[in-house]
Amino acid sequence: MAFWKTLRRKGGGALPGDIDCEAVTARLYEYIDGELDDPQTVEKIRRHLDLCKLCFPHYDFEKAFLRYISEHGRTSAPPELKRRIFKAILEEESRD
Amino acid sequence: MGEDSARKQREFEREALAHLDTLYNVALRLTGSAPDAEDLVQDTVTKAYGAWDKYERGTNCRAWLVTILRNTFINQYRRKSKRPTPVEFETVQDVSVFEALQDRDPSGTFFRFIVDDEVKRAIQELPEEFRIPVVLSDVEGLSYAEIAEALELPVGTVKSRLFRGRRRLQQRLYEYALEMGYIG
Repeated sequence: MAFWKTLRRKGGGALPGDIDCEAVTARLYEYIDGELDDPQTVEKIRRHLDLCKLCFPHYDFEKAFLRYISEHGRTSAPPELKRRIFKAILEEESRD
Repeated sequence: MGEDSARKQREFEREALAHLDTLYNVALRLTGSAPDAEDLVQDTVTKAYGAWDKYERGTNCRAWLVTILRNTFINQYRRKSKRPTPVEFETVQDVSVFEALQDRDPSGTFFRFIVDDEVKRAIQELPEEFRIPVVLSDVEGLSYAEIAEALELPVGTVKSRLFRGRRRLQQRLYEYALEMGYIG
């Protein structure tokens, strides 16, 4: 078993931010996306990430991944298509 | 041109045509081909312009346009091509790549070596159910609520598809990076 699994805290002992690693992992994307509704949960996760040597690198990794996708996954509409669409709308209007 | 139609045109350009890049990106990921994507965007814009009076001012124009695009795709384009095979929701495991490589590359530096074309290919290979939420969220920056509105899905469904789509995309890029020797 990988070392991180044996270190994973489950019940008992003090949990950073009063939330366990599994619960943080499950909500990590929502946390990064700013989509968690409950401010208390946001605060718990924030405190957990500050203190947890296991979850913080995971959080960092997911952020790097999402940044990478947003920077490299995009294709702009070809300028010719834009011109064609603007022209079509102009023509449509002048028919009225 | 009458004053009303000039106003309509200006408003449409400002509110709707500002989202052409988003529409093109989604169209490209839906159809998988640039010429089809161009046709789909053009059809979408023509429909949106025709229905502009029905667009509720102040609501989310981008989501409204994506809905039109998606419905146009389903009704016109998908018929031409083979329907996508439905996802085997239960059988594919969505593992976290971080857990697999945290000892070797915990900060994900390998992503930097992967070229744009490979990322786009990996996105294209996702099942459509996951692909479109991932594109709308991670490439186009829509919120969960906007995606839910655009795809006419509950927010909870958007959340879970996004989660699983991201995991799969990561897995695919990780496998590619391993193949290419980007991860030691």
